[in-house]
Amino acid sequence: MVLKLYGWPKSTCTQRVGMALIEKGVPFEFVMVDLFKGESKTPEYLQKQPFGQVPYIDDDGFTLYESRAIARYIAEKYAAKGTPNLLPIADVRARARFEQAASVEVADFDAFAGRAVFEMVFKPMMGGKSDEAVFQDLITSLSAKLDVYDKILAKQKYMAGNVSLLPLPLPSHPSSSYSTRNKRKLTKRPQEITLADLFHLPYGVLLSTAGSDIMQAKPNVKRWFDDLQSRPSWQAVKDGVKSTV
Amino acid sequence: MVLKLYAAPQSTASLRVAQVLHENNVPFEFIPIDLRAKEQKQAQHTEKNPFGQVPYIDDDGFVLYESRAIGRYIALKYAGQGTAGLIPDQSDIKALALFEQAASSEFANFEVHAAKIAYEKLFKVRLGFPTNEEVVKGAIDQLNVKLDVYEGILAKQGYLAGRELTLADLYHIPFGTRLYRAGLGDLIDSRPNVAKWFNALLARPSWVAIKDGITSTA
Repeated sequence: MVLKLYGWPKSTCTQRVGMALIEKGVPFEFVMVDLFKGESKTPEYLQKQPFGQVPYIDDDGFTLYESRAIARYIAEKYAAKGTPNLLPIADVRARARFEQAASVEVADFDAFAGRAVFEMVFKPMMGGKSDEAVFQDLITSLSAKLDVYDKILAKQKYMAGNVSLLPLPLPSHPSSSYSTRNKRKLTKRPQEITLADLFHLPYGVLLSTAGSDIMQAKPNVKRWFDDLQSRPSWQAVKDGVKSTV
Repeated sequence: MVLKLYAAPQSTASLRVAQVLHENNVPFEFIPIDLRAKEQKQAQHTEKNPFGQVPYIDDDGFVLYESRAIGRYIALKYAGQGTAGLIPDQSDIKALALFEQAASSEFANFEVHAAKIAYEKLFKVRLGFPTNEEVVKGAIDQLNVKLDVYEGILAKQGYLAGRELTLADLYHIPFGTRLYRAGLGDLIDSRPNVAKWFNALLARPSWVAIKDGITSTA
């Protein structure tokens, strides 16, 4: 049975899951939950997602909510498909570096970017009035965090750093005929993208809609974020999540 | 080499890590960081935790920050000792997914609001700044809604990820206790299933060992 993604087409959290499904090449049926008609608060809906939020998935009877948990589940279940190593759980240290980056995304990025976007973009949609001062405060805090991101991303391509699946190279034998350049190739590991990077996209992109160009303001953050935005999985969901079957 | 925990004795994030070290019987050396002196913002510290926060660990040269990441690392590396199953094994994809659902919920549905209350009613007051009562009220309103959902979940299962205790439950303790300190313990006590779950967590030896402040065990 095809996986069903219940959500709102342009909900940031729904987009987060849509991206993960597309990165892993997992076909899915998108089922619209009409937030403005209160469809996420009906007793039937609350049976599946007790917090009354979007999205949730139904994978052949297994239901799951919290967008980051869903993305992790998909990355693990379909580890052999699509973009490799999005959830690097094979090695304790690689997994720890991933978890560090994933925690930073929630506590140091989403905490500020999410609220900033809510203040200027979603609040008015719900009949509320944006508070420019609140927004500026949040952007100031976010900017300080992104200064740290910029330092981290000066030294590594993606936020989790070295999470490669490649085994460590064998120690070089004294009589080895490998040239120095070959030895360097053996020890260089690719810098892999993980879910920790992708999770930043939905709110990161909306910051400019909210009125801040902060994601373009720091050189390494800009390089990293432009790279993420160019991915086909983001391009496929940026105007709204749709079924792929 | 003994694991080193660079932390503050009563920092919620530091307590989160110390508890997992106790749960998995991992001896550690506690190196106190003086937050009042802003030691965590100095170069020696930011070299290890670039966000200038506590805690971080140095496990025989492997440096890690973010308390929830550290807790996970310890639970995985020392899975064979102390409390079993704090993270479900990766071979059980569904159990791991349900753990991740609960772990995500811990931050998004609990900490976000509980931390605001702790900041306004404890941290700011300690430093002599006025409490923003509107922020506190908003956070209380949100917690009431979220803890009603917790009450429903815990009516059907003993722990947030299912039948077994996981990090997702333990991670609630530091800010949960701060709600009591802020005079808002009723948020938990008024909900029988939530209260039973939370009080059982507080009774764990790993929490009793650190609740009055972290100390070295090595």
